Parts: sequence; C-alpha cells; structure tokens
Amino acid sequence: MSLTFTTLEGRSRGFYLFVATLVVLSLIGFISFAMSYIEGHKILGTSNVIPWGMPIIISIYLIGLSAGSLILSSLTYVFQKEEYRPIARMAVYMAIVLILGAMIGIALDLGRPDKTWRLFMFFVLNNMRSMFAINGILYGGYFAISLAYLAFILAEKPTATRAIGILAIVWASLVHMGTGAIFGFIAARPIFYSPIKPFEFLAAAMVSGLALLLITVMFVFKVAQRKFDKNMVFSLSRLLLALVIVLLVIVSVDKVTHLYSPHRDPTLWLLTGPFSWVFWGLQVGCAYILPLLLLLHPRSRKSIKGVLAATFSIIIGIFGERFVLVIPGTAHPLPFYPGKIEGVWGKAGSFSFAPAEFLMCLGIFALMGLFFLLGLKYLELLPGDESSEQIPVVAKNP
Amino acid sequence: MPRWGMVIDLDKCTGCQACTVACKVENNVPHGSPEEQTSRREIYWNKVIAATRGRYPRVKTELIPMPCMHCDNAPCVTVCPAIATYRRADGIIMQNFRRCIGCKYCMVACPYGVRSFNFKEQESKEYQRQDRPPDRTVWGPWPFPTRTHGVVEKCTFCFHLIDQGIKEGKRIGEEVVPACVEACPANARFFGDLDDTRSQVSRLLSSRGSIRLREELVTKPKVYYLLQ
Repeated sequence: MSLTFTTLEGRSRGFYLFVATLVVLSLIGFISFAMSYIEGHKILGTSNVIPWGMPIIISIYLIGLSAGSLILSSLTYVFQKEEYRPIARMAVYMAIVLILGAMIGIALDLGRPDKTWRLFMFFVLNNMRSMFAINGILYGGYFAISLAYLAFILAEKPTATRAIGILAIVWASLVHMGTGAIFGFIAARPIFYSPIKPFEFLAAAMVSGLALLLITVMFVFKVAQRKFDKNMVFSLSRLLLALVIVLLVIVSVDKVTHLYSPHRDPTLWLLTGPFSWVFWGLQVGCAYILPLLLLLHPRSRKSIKGVLAATFSIIIGIFGERFVLVIPGTAHPLPFYPGKIEGVWGKAGSFSFAPAEFLMCLGIFALMGLFFLLGLKYLELLPGDESSEQIPVVAKNP
Repeated sequence: MPRWGMVIDLDKCTGCQACTVACKVENNVPHGSPEEQTSRREIYWNKVIAATRGRYPRVKTELIPMPCMHCDNAPCVTVCPAIATYRRADGIIMQNFRRCIGCKYCMVACPYGVRSFNFKEQESKEYQRQDRPPDRTVWGPWPFPTRTHGVVEKCTFCFHLIDQGIKEGKRIGEEVVPACVEACPANARFFGDLDDTRSQVSRLLSSRGSIRLREELVTKPKVYYLLQ
C-alpha cells in the first residue's frame, strides 16, 4: 500500500489560536449548562408544550452526521473502493467525535443530567419497551464499535477492520433508524407518527454525513496543504445527488400520506403555519432544491465551488429538517376534545430563542471541533504529504 | 384488586376550577405565576379546558376538567426509559421523582397533555402548604415529594389518601376520595372501583352515555365523562 497516513503538524500560530477559541467556547457552553442545571430549565427555550428544544435538535442532527459518516467510511474498508481511502480514516474519527457530541447533547437536555447513567442500566433499571432505552444500547454499542473500528484501522489490520466495518455499518444504520423510531412511534403526535420515519432518518443521515465529510475533507486538506483528487470529490458528489433524491422521495411520501386524515390538520399547519418558512426555506429549499440544482447543473457540478456550495446548503437544510420535526411536531395543540379549545390549552406552543440554550449548543460544537483538531494532531488520520520528501512520522521528529 | 377510575359529569361541571386549586393544595404543587402560565411553564396536575363549537349566536361551550387519565394502555409507561412512570396493581399510573431523569419523552407521548415539567428550583413561598414544606429527607413520592427541578410531574389520583384510607378500613369512593372529587362544589366528580358492579361509578356509567377522551388512540383511559 503506497498511501501513508500522518498526523497534522499543528504548530502554527493559527492552529493554537483556533484551539484556544474552541476551548473558550466550550467553557462558555459548560457555564451555560451549569446555569441551566442550577436554575432549572426555565432559562432554556422549552416549555410544557414544546418539551424538547435545541439540544435534542442538535443531538439527532449530530447522530445523523455521525452515522452517515461512518457508513461512508465503509466504502473503503468493506467495499474496497481504493479511491476513497485518503478520507476514510477521517470519516471514522469524525463519526466518533460526532456521536460523542450527540450523547453530550442528550445528557444536557435531561432535566436531571446527574442521572444520565440510568439510561445505560440495560435490562436492570430500564424499561426495554421504551425506544429511548433501546437507543441507549444502540448509542453505547455504536460508540464502542466505532472506537474499535478506528483502533483496527490505525493498527492496519485489514481483515479485522473489514469484519468490524460490516458490523459498524449495520449498527450505524440501526442507530439512526432507532433515532427515527423515537419520533416515528409516538401515536399522539401526528407530525412524528410515521412508519417511514426511521428510513427518512437513515437517508437524511447519509446525505448530511456525506455533505459534512466533503466539507471537512476539503477544508482540512486545504489548510494542511494536502492535494486531493478532484475526481474523488466529483464521484462522491454524484453519490450525494442520488442520496438527496432518495431523501426527497421519502420525505414527499411522508408528507403526502400525512395530508390525509387524521394527520391532515397538523400537517397543513406545518406547511402553512408559523414554522412553514423553516420547512419550505430550509428543509425543502436548502436541503433538496438548491443542492439538486447545483449538482445537476452541467457547470457547477464540475467545479469544486459548486460542490462546496451544495454541501453547505445541505448541512444547513438538514438542520432545518431536524428543527422542523422536533419543534412543530410538539407545538401543534393536542385535540383533547372536539371543537375549538379556548385559552392557553388550545394555543400552539411558541419556541423562543434562549441565549443559554444557544451557547450550550455552541459549546457542544466547539468541544467537538476541539476533539477533532486534537485527533488530527495526535492520530494518523491525514494522508501523507506527497510533495515533501519527509517520512510520515514528521510530527515527532521535526 | 380494585381498578380505580373517575367519572366526571359534564352536565354538572360549572368550570369553577375548585378541582384545580384543591389539587394544588393537597399535592403541594407550586402555584405558579401569570408569566409562567403564558409561557406554559406552570405545573398543573389537573386542568379545566373549554371547548367551543359553532358560531355566535349558535354557540356551545363545554367545560372539561382533565386530570391524568390513568390509561390502561398508557403511552407514557411504554416510553419511559427509566421506569420512573409505572402502573400500580390498582391501575394508578405513578411517577417516581427519584427515578425520573427528565428526558421528557413521556410529555411528548402523552395524548392528553397532563404532564408538567418542573422548570425551576421552586422557592418555599411558591408552595401552597407553608405548614408542610417539602421533606428532603424522604425519597418516596409521599409525604411531600422531594421536588427538584428537572423532573416530570403529574396527577396520582391522590394515591396517598387512598392508601391511607384502605389502611384505616374506610370505604374508598365514599368516605375517602381524591382531593379534586372532595372539593367539587357541584358534585360533578365521582371516584371508585370500576370493576366493582356495586360502586357508584359503575352505577353512573350504566345509567348514562359516557365517553373517554381521544378513544381513537386506544389508550383506554380510566376517566369517563358523562355527556350533557
């Protein structure tokens, strides 16, 4: 194997400045979390109508990114596509960092984060009929499997890597389908309730995971001054196009079936109500239409800038997709009794922007960025610098 | 084993909210503030909603008191990962504050919106019963729950009164009833054993047409409404 991997040098002023910024942002996030723990969740944007807020939105978003990223690493390690090998290690490491961020997000959203351990007392203190408890097994197992996967990759053991890679893609699919099932199995919330939800989540995971992987690879390779094969990017962007179409079909089927009774009213409210701009603007516009145009247009699909724009648009759009599922899904008033319910009990919930919640989420992103940078610096994730004649262990012996 | 249930006569209910207040007093639920009510962060174990049909001048408003429905197929029990919400042998759906991790999945799953999250560390003056402050040494759900912010709360059918009454050999449903039933000035609420054919609730249910809320979801609530 001619391809070698190395660590990021990480000695420049810019690198340390970036790390310092991320540390500060993580600390700010931690302080906001400590405030929400001491004062209670009144400083967050949630209420009894909308019980789940930003941390849950970014958690399912990050789980999707992670699962998608891990599934794509299997292109190399399971399906033996050599052209993607330069980015595969980074994909696996990114998956680990993202699932860590997602688990932190879930823990921070709990009313009693000190009791997070109860989610992992499988079969002992857990109700295993609960999708949340089942997902505890899935997330915990996923974390362990992806760590082992990375260890085998770094130790360069191809047979073991392939074996655990197969397990990893199956498990990653289950992880995100399980996350979809958390929402899809709730009969009381018509916007959530759909058997297709797990598949929608899986498709969204692969779309967003691939988009983030492309952005990260292009960014890191540019900063670290590595050359990447443009054809690799374009072949991945063709895959991205196919995945976006799959996702668009699944979401359309979901929404169209929901336009029939008994889900009609909440769905119409979603499509035309106060959150419709998120649905049409972010989910449909940024996640589907704009990337489709960019990836289909003969000129933009052949340029790195066009692909980059499409992936950015997808990353923002899929976030909108998560938002427009969690918030309006619970905000629509429950029809307790036939007729119009008067007063606060019949009003749709409103989700207000809360600074503490925003900073908490920013902190999670900063922490993930920090872990990612440290991983680049201390693990051999980057392909070797072909332009220089140095040996790959350059970071240790400058 | 009895199967406790409630019958609410919508013909008698005047919407005076005495049940809501009695519930807050009995269970020491913080009284909340107007701002908390508008931001929907107030804790209610029992609420009274008004549903309007028709247009003026042909209009009809119905008042529906809503405690926890204590469903036989309770979605909240199914989704709770920590067994903090569980069904007692007598059918009461309980909430254990000590086990609750505050994931709020039950609030998402409940079709009746009967669950409230405790959004803040309540000051002692916000409690109804100044004479009975929350006991922080006892971890059980009663006497007064060790109320911390960050857990989900809901109606318990005043299980402590029922358990106490059974211990003292009183007749449940006649001598001992939940606080909301006892406080109702219009006598619109009844409590008793749904499996006992001689109980008042069974007699009422056989006498008139009754409904349960959102029966299409097959949650099988144990709170019945006698129609007007």
